[in-house]
Amino acid sequence: MLLSHARTLCDARSALAVLADRAISSDASSAYEQVLITLDVIHGDEAPAIDTYGLPEEHDRLLAIASTALERLKSHGVDDLHVELLLAMLDDATELDVI
Amino acid sequence: MYGETGAAMRTELAGLLEQHRIQHRLGEALGQRTHAGEVIQQYRHSVLVWCTQAMQVATPMVFSNVRPRVHDPFRTTEQNGAARELARALEHATASSTVGPAPLPLITAPQENPVVEHWRQAARAAVLAEHDTNPTVTGQITAAQAQALVADVAATTQALVVLDKRYRKLPGWTTLPNPAQLGWSALAAAIDANLKTPDYSIDAEGWRPRVKLLRGPTRPGILGVLQAEHNLLIRLQAFPHVANLRLVADSQRHISRQLTPQAARVDETLAARWEQRADNYELIRQQLRDIGSLLGTGDLAAVEAAKIVSRLKNVPADRIIEPRTLAAFQTLYDKIDQRIADIVEEGLERRVFTQRVTLPRLDTGRGALAAPVRERHRTITNADDLDVVRTVREQLRPPTDTQLTGPGDSRADLHAAVARPLASSRRVEAREL
Repeated sequence: MLLSHARTLCDARSALAVLADRAISSDASSAYEQVLITLDVIHGDEAPAIDTYGLPEEHDRLLAIASTALERLKSHGVDDLHVELLLAMLDDATELDVI
Repeated sequence: MYGETGAAMRTELAGLLEQHRIQHRLGEALGQRTHAGEVIQQYRHSVLVWCTQAMQVATPMVFSNVRPRVHDPFRTTEQNGAARELARALEHATASSTVGPAPLPLITAPQENPVVEHWRQAARAAVLAEHDTNPTVTGQITAAQAQALVADVAATTQALVVLDKRYRKLPGWTTLPNPAQLGWSALAAAIDANLKTPDYSIDAEGWRPRVKLLRGPTRPGILGVLQAEHNLLIRLQAFPHVANLRLVADSQRHISRQLTPQAARVDETLAARWEQRADNYELIRQQLRDIGSLLGTGDLAAVEAAKIVSRLKNVPADRIIEPRTLAAFQTLYDKIDQRIADIVEEGLERRVFTQRVTLPRLDTGRGALAAPVRERHRTITNADDLDVVRTVREQLRPPTDTQLTGPGDSRADLHAAVARPLASSRRVEAREL
């Protein structure tokens, strides 16, 4: 794994972790956590540690960082179908996280 | 479990000791009494066999509480202790008995006569107790637990001696060989054992049935969640991969969080514990994100965790949960928490779990490029440094079970029943004087 791939993965993981921790409901928190665990499983559990330094506070910006980072994983050799499934799971989690 | 079989035996013997005028109770016809006497002797032999075998298990771990006369550490005094005397007397009584133990049909088929039925139940408990106190199961008993076992055997032997004296006029009855020696050695062993407080946690030792998966159709509503939680505990016996462990931890956070409001309507103390449990798992979930693993399975545990989350959606928020169901959840929670704490500590001890490394950030202030990643995981050399280990040790692991360490009612009842004939005989003697 190149540094750029690891950095992208780290961004996606960190944003998803913060979303899971700040979700308004337990269901939504579980749904974000599922996306994060699935992302790790796709990478064979080879992933860098979570780094929340510099991440924004706003939910929408966190969501944008997570989805952008997931999209960028396609350019690092991650299977397109896996990425689309992750994005679909993220959409489902977001729906649960709306008041 | 010895606690159950031992208590059953003592309860039946106490019930027998309360019954006087035995001849009358065993039937009017001579043939009936003779037959009942023969059967009872076989039952008595089964109890005697258990006493002998239990003493053989306990004796190596029994050290007399009486201070030795000779303070020479090279001279052993254990060969002459009261427990050894009792073991020898029991072995002699069993070997010299002319009656064999009760065969299986006699043990299993209920008896019409209430007195004989008491004996059958005592013999049945003794036969089951043989399984509970065999050397394989109780091979690791402590000295204090062995003292408790000796005290139980002594009380049972005393009961047999008293009953033997009461039944001696039955037609065809064979008394125990040398009952006086048996009774006195039992009394001496009981006194010696009770000079210090015996450890009654031996009641928790012995054979237990294996916990099985709850298969079959999904139970409706909250019982379906309970079913999945039970099955999760069994599936966690396999060492899980961290990804699956994270799913399990998240399911436990979710179930504790979701059921807390329903628990609060019935038991507020329990609800506070569940709220704390949900917080603990939230913390563990965060801390496990930075742990990776090299080995492990746990797919079936993850399936059960997913079932818990999905079945919780079918439980209405206003559903009232019975206290029994809440207690069942709490029992499972304690066991699952214990197992997850074990898994985390074992994984780190076996170096199966690794710690994820934080990536270097672009440092604009130093004017240097970020160094490339040389490693993605770091082996954990000292598990105590990890937050997750501290959390599972200090917050998740349930407090040690406050096991029933008291003697229990059955022991007190049997002692009272054995002592009652002695007290009444003294009253008779006093009246005669």
